[in-house]
Amino acid sequence: MLDRMRRERPDEAKTARVLTVVQKIDADLQDGLGGRGAASAARRLRRLLGAETVVLAGLDGPPVAVAGPGPQEEELAGLLAQAYEQATTAHRPPWTAVPLIVAGELSGALAVRGGADAELSAVAALVARSLDHAALRRARSRIAQADLRTLRAQISPHFLHNALAVIGARIRTDPDRARTLLNDFADYLRYSFSTQGDYATVADELQAVQTYLELQRARFDDRMELTVRMAPEVLPVAIPFLVIQPIVENAVRHGLEPKPGPGSISVSGFGEGPLCVIEVEDDGVGMDPAFARAVLAGERPRKAGAAPDGGRNGVGLANVDQRLRTVYGSEYGLVIETAPGSGTKVVVRVPRFMRGVVAN
Amino acid sequence: MTGLLAIGLLFAASMAIGVYGVRATRLTTPDFLVASRRVAPGWNAMAIAGEYVSAASVLGLAGLMLKNGIGSLWYAVGFTAGYVAVAALVAGPMRRSGAYTVPDFADYRLGSQTIRKLCAVIVLVIMWLYLVPQFKGAGVVLHLVSGTPYWVGVVLAGSVVTASIAAGGMRSATYVQGFHYVVKLLFIAVPAIFLIVHAGDDARQEALRMDVSEWSRPLLDLEGSGQPLLATWSVLLATTLGAVGLPHVIMRFHTSATAAVARRVAVGVIVLLGVFYLFPAVYGLLGRVFTPGLVRGGDTDTVTVVLPGEIVPGGWGSVLTAIVAAGAFAAFLSTSSGLLMALAGGLSHDLSRASVPRLRLAVAAGALVAVLLSLPARSVDINVAVGWAFAVAASTFCPLLVLGIWWRGLTRAGATAGLAVGVLAATGAALASVLTDPGPGWLVVLLAQPAAWTVPLAFMVMIVVSLLGRPPEWAERAVLRLHAPGPAAAE
Repeated sequence: MLDRMRRERPDEAKTARVLTVVQKIDADLQDGLGGRGAASAARRLRRLLGAETVVLAGLDGPPVAVAGPGPQEEELAGLLAQAYEQATTAHRPPWTAVPLIVAGELSGALAVRGGADAELSAVAALVARSLDHAALRRARSRIAQADLRTLRAQISPHFLHNALAVIGARIRTDPDRARTLLNDFADYLRYSFSTQGDYATVADELQAVQTYLELQRARFDDRMELTVRMAPEVLPVAIPFLVIQPIVENAVRHGLEPKPGPGSISVSGFGEGPLCVIEVEDDGVGMDPAFARAVLAGERPRKAGAAPDGGRNGVGLANVDQRLRTVYGSEYGLVIETAPGSGTKVVVRVPRFMRGVVAN
Repeated sequence: MTGLLAIGLLFAASMAIGVYGVRATRLTTPDFLVASRRVAPGWNAMAIAGEYVSAASVLGLAGLMLKNGIGSLWYAVGFTAGYVAVAALVAGPMRRSGAYTVPDFADYRLGSQTIRKLCAVIVLVIMWLYLVPQFKGAGVVLHLVSGTPYWVGVVLAGSVVTASIAAGGMRSATYVQGFHYVVKLLFIAVPAIFLIVHAGDDARQEALRMDVSEWSRPLLDLEGSGQPLLATWSVLLATTLGAVGLPHVIMRFHTSATAAVARRVAVGVIVLLGVFYLFPAVYGLLGRVFTPGLVRGGDTDTVTVVLPGEIVPGGWGSVLTAIVAAGAFAAFLSTSSGLLMALAGGLSHDLSRASVPRLRLAVAAGALVAVLLSLPARSVDINVAVGWAFAVAASTFCPLLVLGIWWRGLTRAGATAGLAVGVLAATGAALASVLTDPGPGWLVVLLAQPAAWTVPLAFMVMIVVSLLGRPPEWAERAVLRLHAPGPAAAE
């Protein structure tokens, strides 16, 4: 019995070698069939299979990568056409072609001259899975970008309406102020809709916050006090686009708007060693900590007496939290300190430098 | 007592600025950002100078001058000239890279976590070498003004700095450090002028009497080696190139709004440092006339604090002593806060990335190690130890930054090899010079101030090993970004 097991089990070094090669092939294919690593993947496959020639082909156009002595063009084209048509392994000795089925869709073929059949179909399945991974990876980054687009598109129609109404109301009584507000409004829109880049400096973000708050202050008839305290060393730090502004917007809409009487909001930033800390604090109505936790978890709980669009409450915060975690890692999410009736403080704490995070 | 009072007042003032300084920028007008950008260059230059002028400059320079002669002023030349190299070679590109520390830069340029960690370890070495003389200075000054034992001063200094950082005393580092520059300059310059006036004609003549063969020889002779030219060259190389690689200096350039401003700030720093270094020389020259006894006692680092009492006896003397002591304490406080922050950053952020950085814990741990190292270091000259810190920086981070910024061909392997060789050679030589005594000759110079050979060695290793491999494919783009005038040109 033991003897048989030993016979069946290939020696460990060989297994390890094969597994390493498989891993490397997966890494090579991380940009898909059209990526830079395709040629290297073909070379590795050739060595793995001990084949004469290995060809990786997409659905159309010339083969993506050829390793070994090149095949005759019409010979290969015929073989691939046969493989694609029947969607099964095609034999034309000495050639064999296996279609690559990625997520249920035909997306290419692996053609080999001189290789064992059983091995070949297993390897083709591996390659197809690597390609599937690559597609998923791309999808993940697309989702992150879509998150940002969602946030950009989330500028509340109420806010637009209110801002324009406030400006309109002042055109006769205080034309100078109306003019400034209109400029602020234009700046705010340009920043929120700007499509360039995923990162901005803290200074740019603050400028957007400032214009937003100027408009809100006008609406509140200057009942709202705004304080900005910034250590100059954090101003040039690059952070993800639209991080501070949604927090401030949240503070105004859910902290100060429901509160009778004057309110104040303060934005402060300072360096803490390698970290940059930004705090947004308001003395509004606050919320239940459990509610805050649910908001960050993206559960959008219903709150008694919420605003008509209360279902959207905190979507901005959850979105910001998620994007911060995506960029910096899970330990750098938002921190919310709050209690009913005693205001809210939201703290963003991010590294000053992160590879790839550069303001445009 | 007056001295303690002055130090206490100074500490309270800098805490107040540190914690509430952020609020000084409180503005409610829309253009507050424009305002803070406009303020930055001047303050920033002062802040850099404030952080840079350490106990080595306030106490150590005059002390070493008293001991080794006028040639010690080459240290001051090197400290200042370093900023020429900083302005020309690294200030602008570092600013553009977005990297906040040297480990960040290594990560940006070479994309390797291993090199990042290696850099963080080197940061620790440099920072500890730099912190020890600061703590020593604090211990000595406190001993002089209040009579407490040396270790009390060191321990107290460690706790004071840790506490002040933990309480948020570095939140508005720019304002604290700028304030400290002004304090240091005034508290050194005013007594110096007073002392010059008060010393009398004879003493002034005596102080300026030059005797080219001996004490007033224009070159620096380290440890009586008889190789003044080599020693001077080595010190200059270490201090000039070391300034390029000092971790806590580099991060200050990020306060500037643009790369051009960063360079202008560096030029401003040169002016501020040049003005400052006039005054330690005064203490050194006068100290030779009034306090020659210190040389025999081996306590030359105290000359700046002792001198006012020697020249002006009585009440005014003790007031002057208190002022100078407070200036020295400011030097110690500002530099070691900056150093500890950089050290703690490396410890908490680069070496343990897994969890949210525990900065305060790292500050306390860093300070504890520095205190423990400082306790037996009483006999080490302040400037000599600082010289080692500079030598290590010059033979590790200087090649990394200069080659990383100006040469596309730098590879991971090359950088790793160069950093490892540089840090081992420089610290090894410094250790050897403490533990052994090879007698007069060039060897003692090469051990006591190793920059003359370790810097070229590190450059060479980095270049040769890099040439053997292939640079990472994004090197071109990474380097282009460092030199492109606007961010738009980077893509």
